[in-house]
Amino acid sequence: MALPKRIIKETERLMAEPVKGISAVPHEDNLRYFDVTIDGPGQSPYEGGVFKLELFLPDDYPMTPPKIRFLTKIYHPNIDRLGRICLDVLKSNWSPALQIRTILLSIQALLGAPNPDDPLANDVAQKWKEDEKGAIETARQWTEQYAKP
Amino acid sequence: MGAKVPRNFRLLEELEKGEKGLGAEACSYGLENGDDLLMSDWNGTILGPPHSVHENRIYSVKIHCGPNYPDVPPEISFTSKINLPCVDQRNGKVDPTKLPCLAQWKREFTMETILIELRRYMAHSANKKLPQPPEGSTY
Repeated sequence: MALPKRIIKETERLMAEPVKGISAVPHEDNLRYFDVTIDGPGQSPYEGGVFKLELFLPDDYPMTPPKIRFLTKIYHPNIDRLGRICLDVLKSNWSPALQIRTILLSIQALLGAPNPDDPLANDVAQKWKEDEKGAIETARQWTEQYAKP
Repeated sequence: MGAKVPRNFRLLEELEKGEKGLGAEACSYGLENGDDLLMSDWNGTILGPPHSVHENRIYSVKIHCGPNYPDVPPEISFTSKINLPCVDQRNGKVDPTKLPCLAQWKREFTMETILIELRRYMAHSANKKLPQPPEGSTY
């Protein structure tokens, strides 16, 4: 099946003008399936970590958002134990004007600004609200343990 | 032909369907370990089909989805003891050559496909009256 022009263009641009701290490389045998890495943002408990994700562009992309999940274990109130991400632009606020690039930037921003009021991982969010210092420390430890390149 | 859904996203779809209970009522399945990022090991249950020796029994199975799932079928084994021609009586393993959906596996098939077919196999006229081990015994 021919790959839609939109996907080819996005892929080319990701390769030609990579975003700092983010990489997305398509699988040779499935050009809708990308290996992604995101560097943890500075001044966050994820700083210094390199997080692996996987991204898939479904048949009806860009009418529906990409599917994306963390493959590296991460302690974050909006990311669950299976690496699924709670982010409005991946769900109700998706627009075909958004791109792989913008989504990955939004995820990187989410690492810098956890939102415990819209949790996916309830236990993590609760800890974040009750003991933010402790939660941040745990997030830092997990980064050290699981996300070091 | 549409986009080829990679293993992990396929398993996430199956997980969500299983969690929401959207599947067949007589079968269920879920991840053995909720933080297994590889999503390899699953537990399933099959409610014994009516009008058979299996009626009102609940059978547990283990499902292992390897790295090449769904291009290749998962491995299935019964935890609950059961007497069926496709099940190895020593360890509960389902012989993939004896269950049609495994022998003629297609990428579109899911864990639910297998559980439903196992249940149909239990209800098959050749199998529905086979003597069974005591209820609740395990391999």
